Amino acid sequence: MADSQYILEVNNLCQHFTSGHGKKKMTVKAVDDVSFGVRPAETFGLVGESGCGKTTTGRTIIRLYNPTSGEVLFNGRDIASKMNGDLRRYLTDNIAMIFQDPIESLNPKMTIEEIVGEGLKVRGMKDRAEIRQKVIEMLRKVGLVEEHATRYPHEFSGGQRQRIGIARAIIINPKLIIADEPVSALDVSVQAQVINLLNDLKEEMGLTILFIAHNLSVVKYFSDRIGVMYYGHLVEVAKGDDLYRNPLHPYTKALLSAIPEPNPLTERSRVRVDYVPERDHDYSKEQPSMVEVEPEHYVYCSPSELKKWSV
Amino acid sequence: MKWIDRNNLPEELKNLPDSSFESLHQEDIKDEKFQTKPVGFFRDAMIRLSKSKVSMISVSCIVLIIILALLVPNITGYSFTEQNLGNKNLPPKIQGLEKLGIADGTRVLENRKKDALSDPDRYPEGSVLEILREFDSKGVAMVDVKVDYYKYVGAEDNRYHWFGTDYLGRDLLTRLFQGTRISLMIAFFSVLTNCFIGVIYGAISGYYGGKVDMILTHVAEVLDGMPYIVVTILFMILFGSGMVSIVLALTITGWIGTSRLIRSQFYRFKGREYVLAARTLGVPDLTLIFRHILPNCVGPLITRVMIAIPGAIFSESFLAYLGLGIKAPNPSIGVLLADGQKVLLQYPYQTLFPAVLISLLMIAFNLFSNGLRDALDPTKRGEE
Amino acid sequence: MAAETKKQEREVVLSVKDLKVNFRAYGGLVQAVRGISFDLHRGETLAIVGESGSGKSVSIKAIMGILANNAIIESGEILYDGKDLTKVKEDDFHEIRGKRIGLIFQDPLSALNPIMKIGRQITETLRLNQKMSKEDAKKRALELMTAVGIPEPEKRYDQYPFQFSGGMRQRIVIAIALAGDPEILICDEPTTALDVTVQAKILELINQIKKDRNLSVIFITHDLGVVANMADRVNVMYAGKVVETGSAEEIFFEPAHPYTWALLSSMPDLHTKERLMAIPGTPPNMIYPPKGDAFAPRSEFAMRIDYEQEPPMFKITDTHAAATWLLHPKAAQNGIEMPAVLKARIERMKRSGAVNG
Repeated sequence: MADSQYILEVNNLCQHFTSGHGKKKMTVKAVDDVSFGVRPAETFGLVGESGCGKTTTGRTIIRLYNPTSGEVLFNGRDIASKMNGDLRRYLTDNIAMIFQDPIESLNPKMTIEEIVGEGLKVRGMKDRAEIRQKVIEMLRKVGLVEEHATRYPHEFSGGQRQRIGIARAIIINPKLIIADEPVSALDVSVQAQVINLLNDLKEEMGLTILFIAHNLSVVKYFSDRIGVMYYGHLVEVAKGDDLYRNPLHPYTKALLSAIPEPNPLTERSRVRVDYVPERDHDYSKEQPSMVEVEPEHYVYCSPSELKKWSV
Repeated sequence: MKWIDRNNLPEELKNLPDSSFESLHQEDIKDEKFQTKPVGFFRDAMIRLSKSKVSMISVSCIVLIIILALLVPNITGYSFTEQNLGNKNLPPKIQGLEKLGIADGTRVLENRKKDALSDPDRYPEGSVLEILREFDSKGVAMVDVKVDYYKYVGAEDNRYHWFGTDYLGRDLLTRLFQGTRISLMIAFFSVLTNCFIGVIYGAISGYYGGKVDMILTHVAEVLDGMPYIVVTILFMILFGSGMVSIVLALTITGWIGTSRLIRSQFYRFKGREYVLAARTLGVPDLTLIFRHILPNCVGPLITRVMIAIPGAIFSESFLAYLGLGIKAPNPSIGVLLADGQKVLLQYPYQTLFPAVLISLLMIAFNLFSNGLRDALDPTKRGEE
Repeated sequence: MAAETKKQEREVVLSVKDLKVNFRAYGGLVQAVRGISFDLHRGETLAIVGESGSGKSVSIKAIMGILANNAIIESGEILYDGKDLTKVKEDDFHEIRGKRIGLIFQDPLSALNPIMKIGRQITETLRLNQKMSKEDAKKRALELMTAVGIPEPEKRYDQYPFQFSGGMRQRIVIAIALAGDPEILICDEPTTALDVTVQAKILELINQIKKDRNLSVIFITHDLGVVANMADRVNVMYAGKVVETGSAEEIFFEPAHPYTWALLSSMPDLHTKERLMAIPGTPPNMIYPPKGDAFAPRSEFAMRIDYEQEPPMFKITDTHAAATWLLHPKAAQNGIEMPAVLKARIERMKRSGAVNG
């Protein structure tokens, strides 16, 4: 998928975790040969169930983990190469991350001002008044007030904390934000606040967002294109509407059939599709690969499957 | 709750004024300001701590002992080294209390010849207070007699030793609190160095993990295997018996516990999302260790320090008891106990006072650290 | 409508009356539940919806007698089987808890003992509560495991919780809850920790068990999709009160309380394109619960009276009522209606329901 139209390009990324030594050595292929690209100012959604490798993919891109193999290009520069000060700086200047757990992701011993201002401090801003000014500006941007700066995280509600996490991410003016399940730990009534906020910021700052989530309705609403992951593999990539209208991979179908909709009429007549890899695939003769079935719609399949599914 | 029928409203609802139903359209609903004051983690912990009676009593006990240790040796009028062989082993005598019959400087002398009572050289005038028992032993008239011991040994009238004196005639009150001062100092210094080494060692080991952790852990295990009495004796030989060698002896293996604690805390916290978040912002390792992770280990660390202090006092006493204590004439609680137990049967007060003091210290520190542990427990935050 | 009346006549299994629960905290008294009342009928699923802090979990904890130590039941009663559960002593509660009322928690892993074989965890309840012999208990446990859809129960009987996946663990928790043969099953967000595909299976399982055993289910969740799937009746809670109650159709298609409106329109469904209607602000601090309608400060439809007087439950139909002044005849002067976005969505929902059904 080499294409310079992408701001972020992930090519054959693998992240294998090993544990134990010698005979007991075990390898978990958390991310296995994943490739996709994200265009500037686009939101790319990554969905899948827990343990499918979507979070690991995000964390590997921002180099919380060192990738096992593969390349990640950001504006054409390889950011999966060996870490050094220069690359670290390049990464932190351009990519920021929003985390899932609004309680866990803020240091309980620091005030909001310290938490949000940290990115500036790391970048060598010394003037406290200037940092404070910038922090307050960011807090306002995410709908909080100046007075909140001196408070500690535990005093805030989940939605507010998540907005503080967003303020921390955008204060360094990143180009790409990796949002790792930013709303899944929040109450329904505040999820919309956070989603709207992210949408506004995206418009305003021209952000590119890699949106990682398991809630398909939210991903569908928020993303331009969606990648579906299953056990370390990306199984289908398509524009949101295409994916929902015409899911090809059996896992995508199963996933779509399981989303509970807030509608008692459809819920009571829902027909669920199961996905059993052993039953649905026969990869003994031919190997699957990513195939572009229609423009912008990729699916991970073997040639015979392709024939069968695209009918 | 009863449901109200809209077509058949009860009177009080029917007569609500129309103005009540004016729409108050709010354009921009902002997050509310907090009604409460900001409460930092430690303020919150202190609030809970101050609510615990046991902790408050024990902490005042500790503070009182520290104040006494600082003041008493300077105001008794005696120095802790001042010997007076004429006044040795004097019993406690306290102004004001002497009239009540306690701490009046008296002793019972048993099996004395009755004849000698009239000898002013042996029994100065006024020293004999009461003859408790007269009996006959092998034809000699004997008595048990209660004497004013201060007069008996010929001490000046205005001499008062609240806790008595020891076998060299040194004032025990002065020596006890001078000893407390030294014991506490040994405890503080050893715990401080333990903490310093333990925190850094544990932090590096826990933060970096992997091979670094493996090597550091093994080194600590080797050190932990050394018998500390032998190590202490070696230090005594090397540096002489003084505070430095005792502190060093208590440090050589003492930091390992702290480092294990800190290491496990680091393992717990380094994968937390807020640490990851700081890493994605490019926060350097040292800042991560000292600014992000360490402050969250402070709770267990403080608790550990508070338990380690009485532990160190106790270890010091134990060494003193074996004769490995602080160099004479400096006292420590352990030295006083070791001296006192030699004459326990004749002069029990010489053991009693240091024993009571060390027990008080141990209990107070332990109860206080229990209270602290509860107060610093983040899961109990905001509770009463 | 005939069906609705029938539901009304059904036997009431559990009845909560004007329950108030407070918590002592050093900032003051947290009024977690401020007077809720509801009935649970035999064989129905009652969903309690609300965000965290709305008091939904606290109220079921009160029913189960597992409130934290600093909780005080200020007033009210919970009537079950002729007894007031708020007055039952802890020593006697085990007669009810687990036996008559089963509980399924959110996190199956923490609900199971990690070092005990799952077979023993199921039989323990059977042997303690029903004084079964070892053999009978095992037989019954295997039956239960089959009933909750655990494949190869004989083999699984001797395994430990860590050998099971999240969905399977939740099935075991359900099996344990069913072991006492309860008549009420309380589910506290049983699928929140699970993946969507697993969630769908667990929901199916609970529905099927409920049908088979004619259980009464109280289902606590914040996921409206799950509510739509499970519930016969719905209680919407906000700030320690039930603000709207009604059948699932009534809540989803004819919601009356602005909070219910906001809840329904705040989440995107698969067809949403327009900007989401977020609920601004934050839930109230329950140490200082607001006067009047607790939702008023966050509602764009607030009226003066919302800040002055607490709204009573206005009856809409026999089964549907909401606590909002908007239902007062005099409020009609403002011409406040359900937001257009929501209206459009409900229309869409009804249409797609008609197509599917």
